[in-house]
Amino acid sequence: MTGTTSVLGQRFVRRDGPEKVTGEARYTADLAFTGLLHAKFVYAGRAHARIVAIDTTEAARMPGVHAVLTQADAPLVRYGMFVKDRTLFAHEVVRFEAEIVAAVAADTPERAAAAAAAVRVEYEDLPAVLDVDAALSPAAPVLHPDWLDYRTQDGVLRAPNDCGHMTSVKGDVDAGFAEAELQLTETYCSDMAHAVPIEPHAVVAQWQGEKVTIWTTSQVPFPARAGVAETLQIPQSNVRIVVPHLGGGFGGKCDFHFEAHVALLARATRRPVRLVFSRREEFLATDKVRHAARIELTTGVKRDGTITARRARLLLDSGAYCGDALFATEIGLMMVAGPYRVPNLYAEVHTVYTNRTPAGSVRAPGGPQTCWAVEQHTDELARLVGLDPLEFRRRNLVRAGDTGQTGQRFVSSSAQRCLDRAAELAGWPGTDLAEGEALGVAVGWWFSLSVPSGAYLKLNPDGTGTIITGAQENGSGSVMGLALLAAEELGMRPEAFSILYQDTDAGPFDIGSAGSQTTFNNGRAVMEAAREVREKLLALAAERLEIHQRDLELVDGSVRVKGAPTRSIPLAEIAAGAQLIGSGSGTPPPLPEHDLTGCGGRLGYSAFAAPSFFCHIARVRVDRETGVVSVPEVVAVHEFGRVLNPLGAQGQVEGGVIQSVGMALLEGSQYDGGHQLNPGLLGYKLVTAPDAPTVTVDFLDDAVDQGGPHGAKAVGEPPVVGTPAAIGNAIAAATGTRVRALPMNAERVWTALHRPSAGAVTAGGEA
Amino acid sequence: MSRYFAPGNAAEAAELLRTTPGARVVAGGTDLVVAARGGKHPLPEVLVALHRVPELARVRETEAGIILGALTTHTWVERSGLVRSRWSALADAAAMIGSPATRSTGTIGGNLMNASPAMDLGSPLLVLDATVELRRTGGTRALTVAELLAGPGRTTAAPDELLSSVRIPAPVPGTGSAYIRLEHRRAMEIAIVGAAAALRFDSRGEIVAARLALTAAAPVCLRVPAAEAGLLGRRLDAEALAAAGRAAVAAVRPISDVRASADYRRAMTAVVVARALTLAARRAAAGSSVPGPDHPPTATGSVQ
Repeated sequence: MTGTTSVLGQRFVRRDGPEKVTGEARYTADLAFTGLLHAKFVYAGRAHARIVAIDTTEAARMPGVHAVLTQADAPLVRYGMFVKDRTLFAHEVVRFEAEIVAAVAADTPERAAAAAAAVRVEYEDLPAVLDVDAALSPAAPVLHPDWLDYRTQDGVLRAPNDCGHMTSVKGDVDAGFAEAELQLTETYCSDMAHAVPIEPHAVVAQWQGEKVTIWTTSQVPFPARAGVAETLQIPQSNVRIVVPHLGGGFGGKCDFHFEAHVALLARATRRPVRLVFSRREEFLATDKVRHAARIELTTGVKRDGTITARRARLLLDSGAYCGDALFATEIGLMMVAGPYRVPNLYAEVHTVYTNRTPAGSVRAPGGPQTCWAVEQHTDELARLVGLDPLEFRRRNLVRAGDTGQTGQRFVSSSAQRCLDRAAELAGWPGTDLAEGEALGVAVGWWFSLSVPSGAYLKLNPDGTGTIITGAQENGSGSVMGLALLAAEELGMRPEAFSILYQDTDAGPFDIGSAGSQTTFNNGRAVMEAAREVREKLLALAAERLEIHQRDLELVDGSVRVKGAPTRSIPLAEIAAGAQLIGSGSGTPPPLPEHDLTGCGGRLGYSAFAAPSFFCHIARVRVDRETGVVSVPEVVAVHEFGRVLNPLGAQGQVEGGVIQSVGMALLEGSQYDGGHQLNPGLLGYKLVTAPDAPTVTVDFLDDAVDQGGPHGAKAVGEPPVVGTPAAIGNAIAAATGTRVRALPMNAERVWTALHRPSAGAVTAGGEA
Repeated sequence: MSRYFAPGNAAEAAELLRTTPGARVVAGGTDLVVAARGGKHPLPEVLVALHRVPELARVRETEAGIILGALTTHTWVERSGLVRSRWSALADAAAMIGSPATRSTGTIGGNLMNASPAMDLGSPLLVLDATVELRRTGGTRALTVAELLAGPGRTTAAPDELLSSVRIPAPVPGTGSAYIRLEHRRAMEIAIVGAAAALRFDSRGEIVAARLALTAAAPVCLRVPAAEAGLLGRRLDAEALAAAGRAAVAAVRPISDVRASADYRRAMTAVVVARALTLAARRAAAGSSVPGPDHPPTATGSVQ
């Protein structure tokens, strides 16, 4: 119906690529404003304290200072996606080192910084709670004494210092363990890690009358708009959020951040005000870090390798506030069984308050740590029963028709095929391995998030098209790829579409660049909008060509008569004389049937819609004398349903694998009391190009369409989930010892090898 | 408010240092500016920038050795065929510093005067018996590198003294040298610990000259005379390597920081010492030493 040539699955270069590569792209901090003032925050600088007094008089008198604001200048509103536990500025108590106590606007950044330093705050220190075990002790100080008064989303179960706990129960776990012939208990710990986008957070706010426009580095413009409206107690319609080009997000720019603070400063000064974070602030103050986690697993198996039961307990360090952390908790809970048949399960997960930087969404929240722990455990189980890691997995992986941990019935499962293909590509168990080298494997699964979304589409008089969407691009290319779906419906080239997004006054509501959901949901909306335009086009063309619509087709930017290519009308000709406008949203595909009997708490991911599977195999090289690990190659086989944009999907997998090599080996925050010790890019080490592995990528299709556009599933997050797990298993294979702390840095590997009694189990963050 | 000067010659620069209290020299700025932006140290009140002083960028080769002007960049050192063949340890170190951009901007003088215990050039210059020339209005004096380095971020140079050049004597023919550092990643990295070695053997394969120095293992880069003395008259066998490692470990005073614990640094000292000695010996045997500029040997390099 769209003519002969499909644009799907073809090589497609994203439209925003050239301007980003050449440096012409303009980011939030690049924008110029007349009369611009500069914002600077005053931070607590301590883990936990009561505010005795704040004195801003000296700061306010300093040259060039236009405003110094505290919570006294803002409505006393507690906000939070799941638990309303936070105020814009510290209210009576500070709970982590970068809690915002005051904000300054001045005519230069230097004057703003000087004034911020001149704000006098008197504190009375309170005992700090710095690890999850201590926080859950009945004797622990309660970090939110008024927690029972906080409003929450429906279904959130809480306790003192626990802002969300939930359980996942399947079968009869006691009976399952009774059936087991062997069992294994292990504990794995991971350190806090960061999203580290290249572009730091930046916000500019400017008022006209009662309305404020906010340019911000947000992955989620509509939730940001809602957050500003809620905390400033103004109508959402008075807030317009615009996102210029976004220099990466990786989840760290999800949720509502600092837009309201800057809007308050701009309102107080009646001037545009800009905030740009330093790299240090990126580490300390952005309340979106990957949760430090403590993961306890006990599994029963039969001697033939059949898993009979599992108990799991996950403690995620949420830091001082809940934020959007329950995403990580809920997803982590759904990862504890892995893509395995675990007939009897009891799993519980807790989101624990501590006096650290608040955690939240970072690419695949809850995923990599849990997959890493579960897959280390899986290899240890294989060793326990004397099976090759691949064979052990083959005996336990889910197949079509099986039920998952919440009773979800898998209509298809590519887990086995991913494993087999990866093993083939990697040459398992390793044929040409050098000294100190070994392979390690990990399999896993991920979900597609099914949520409402919307788009408009119009054809322009020159025959090009414009997509107007509320979806947000965070750099992954998913918004850019929407042109493919429109082009496919309308027989046009994807290059013929421009995309208007990044503006809450233009596009329909969208939850934003989160949960790998853009193509899955906004793709559906764009297709529906394009189909409306197609119907209008065909109706007009049928009239002009005096032929029935069903005899027409849309090909190469024209409407033509099937079988008579010379009888055609260019789209431009029709579009020049008619309004060709469409809108769409479509119906989000329903969650698969599942059964939550016995489960407790808010289960936002009670089943995984359109689940996808993957297998990563890493080849590592371990220097036994130093513990230094390098990763020459990672094989990454993913099943994404159907790959619409191979270049884009390949980029997501390559980038995700390289990013998660850092999580595996280098990245982790170290703490001294309530203070991060390495809040910068010298002490917090990302992988750079010389250490990037060769990434061998392959895609498998899913034969069953599970509701995404043309059968597509989520792509953005799964690539980071499996690599740390595969690397960990490879390190264990190469060294004969297991590192049970993430990152598995050189010193931890060396300690496991040379000081095996010296607590390789303990993550450094707890020291 | 900061003040900034860009003098046109070394005499003028020295005079500015003498007459302007609080003045600090800036060359490439790769330490000074990064530390300021990272909140470690504020920028000095008065900056004397050297980029318009061509005489400080001059390199002179003489019978006695080579004199590198203070503004010689790491990139120049890394790419110099002469340095790579005769003073290999220095070329090894220059090739590891930061990124290509850091190396093209950062200078040998800046690396020394920043006096980080983790500086990569310190240990190689120690084993190569380098001296520095300090210039002030009215005179100059020469110091060994060991005499220059006083502690973390501290040198024995007076506030009005300018490091003008580094003099490295020509090695006795048959000498091989190498620098090895332990690192967590292969670019944009700072030493966890490092070791530089220079060795010369007689015709029977016994060591007749030995120099060994350590990086990031004490408040300054330092030589290990006990290890050097223990190597003399021996072949470089496993026992000799182990003995040198023990002597080095006994000499270090490592700290625990975000990069590593003191315990790990101590253990790694023996590893980098053995690897530096081994590579230096291999180069001594080969008659010269030409590490490719793109592949500096590192602690991880030996297995990569």
